[in-house]
Amino acid sequence: MKRYPAIKIKDGKRYFYRFTMNQRIQHIILAWSVVTLVLTGMPLKFSNSAWAPYLYALFGGIKAAPIVHITTGVILLILFVYHIGYLAYVIYKKQILPLKQKEGLSLMKVLIILAKQPLVPNLKDAFDIRDLMKYLFFLTNKRPDGDNFTWKEKFDYWAPFWGMIIIGLSGLIIWNKELATHIVPGWFLNFSLIAHSDEALLAALFLFIWHWYNVHFSISVFPMGTVFLTGYMSEELMAEEHYEHYVKVMKEAGLEHEILPPHGAHAHESSEGGHSA
Amino acid sequence: MKVSLPYLKSYLLLFLSIPFLIFSSPGSASAADIGNCLLCHKYPGMSRVDEEGKFRLFFINESIFNNGVHAKVKCEGCHTDITEIPHKPAKKVDCLVECHIVEPSSEKKFSHKSVETDLGQSVHGKIDSAGKSKKYANDFPECKDCHDEPLYRPLSFFKKVRPGISEASLGRCRVCHKKDEFIYRFYNHVTTRLHKSRNPINIAEVCARCHNDSQLVERHGLSTKAVFSYGETFHGKAARFLDERIPDCLDCHVNKGESAHQMLSHKNTQASTNDMNRGKICSNIDCHPNASPKLATYNVHAEFNLKQSPAQYFFTVFFIVLTGGTLLPLMGIILLDLIRRFFPNAVIKRRK
Repeated sequence: MKRYPAIKIKDGKRYFYRFTMNQRIQHIILAWSVVTLVLTGMPLKFSNSAWAPYLYALFGGIKAAPIVHITTGVILLILFVYHIGYLAYVIYKKQILPLKQKEGLSLMKVLIILAKQPLVPNLKDAFDIRDLMKYLFFLTNKRPDGDNFTWKEKFDYWAPFWGMIIIGLSGLIIWNKELATHIVPGWFLNFSLIAHSDEALLAALFLFIWHWYNVHFSISVFPMGTVFLTGYMSEELMAEEHYEHYVKVMKEAGLEHEILPPHGAHAHESSEGGHSA
Repeated sequence: MKVSLPYLKSYLLLFLSIPFLIFSSPGSASAADIGNCLLCHKYPGMSRVDEEGKFRLFFINESIFNNGVHAKVKCEGCHTDITEIPHKPAKKVDCLVECHIVEPSSEKKFSHKSVETDLGQSVHGKIDSAGKSKKYANDFPECKDCHDEPLYRPLSFFKKVRPGISEASLGRCRVCHKKDEFIYRFYNHVTTRLHKSRNPINIAEVCARCHNDSQLVERHGLSTKAVFSYGETFHGKAARFLDERIPDCLDCHVNKGESAHQMLSHKNTQASTNDMNRGKICSNIDCHPNASPKLATYNVHAEFNLKQSPAQYFFTVFFIVLTGGTLLPLMGIILLDLIRRFFPNAVIKRRK
């Protein structure tokens, strides 16, 4: 038996495997570092605010907080580089290498593999957004059938990915201004500072409002989603958010006759919070 | 446990020296109040409303005054028009008068008069290079526009850099000098000048009195509200968090080795802020020693308005639009989702 089966039963309920241990550790480092960076960066951005000195003092004030910020930023950048390497390794080992051994490789084939990665946006996401709008505006009572990763999760993934490039690069430049100005002019630092702080504010608001709503504060998961810790998602939430993928996994497991009806989560209003895999 | 004699002696000496340290501290040094002015001015509530309707406080905090640089100057040394008690409303103090103090290196009567010359030739002088009065001459600063009563802020650098008086250093003074009151005062006088005696934010606040005044900035055709724009960069932000290592206005606008009174316009080729010299300020050993001269094109006064910096302005606007354009629709979806969950099966138009 696999250590992490695709479907796990606990207390008579089904849970669906979504994130590996490696991915969960990456996410926890990401979450910790982002929160630390926000807490040590925002007091500087809003240094005029009454709360700023108190929050900054929690991290040692002006003498220590910048060191905490830079150290955490470096950890996050290392994580980002690791994540790229991890992705490349997984895609190569599990998809490119078998294809190479089976029928040979071409650039087009590699591009098709990359385009078909589960987190790459596709046409279905556009239709899902359209269908969600119809649902939210009461034009239909059918929610879109989400795949393994919905457009929301793709947004959650690519927004920090873009942010990491912008904030990471500009942060490196600001941090190493003496070295950087041997390559770029001094005014480039002004642009870097704007990009670093404004993009960071966007990222922070995005994560704390949008991401946290979807994974923690939404009625379906409140008070806290646990999939980022356990790696498993409850059946009700799978049926609500990832119905297409849910049906596929259930069929693969030979459980066709036990598939929940679409959007049954409304009837159950069950939470995945509090369960452990 | 047996206590050895040398230790016992040390403890005894330390115990006996406590009253000496307390009573010989600079706070207890006697002021030059020969005219007995503190007879009245020692009372904290001493105040009145003047002819212009302004509330005036005349209280002199003796301990603060006694720690200030002017502690040895008699009251009448500056308030020269006061000759009797009780006295009539005193005139404004002229900081350029000769006071009774003798300057020890020249043995002449001391005066700040030479500062007037420096200030007159600086960017803050009221007279231009042609000898004519500058436009809006009254806007230019006089002594007390920038200087309030300066306090000594003694530095200790004996073994550890920490603020305060180093008794170990004083011990070396006592080898030659016998009067403790003199030793404390001279120690304060010297050490307070060995480092910046004011926090960068305090320096910025002094300059802000004029340079953050929108009307004055516009009247003199200055490019930016200097202290506001200083506060928009890391320099100003760190200063707000009381970082003493961060550069203040004077660190960049005054040539090394000169005083703040000799500050020049950035158009002057001798000025530290002139385009030709700016690189040297940024790359000086205390700031960014390995920086390229290109670092000097960094806009330390980051007031990104449309007129001054259109590129930075539109770059900022881009991020504002990006933030609003991303978050507002998403927050709209959250709101709709919350509403929808109250009516999960409701529909206006049923699916065919």
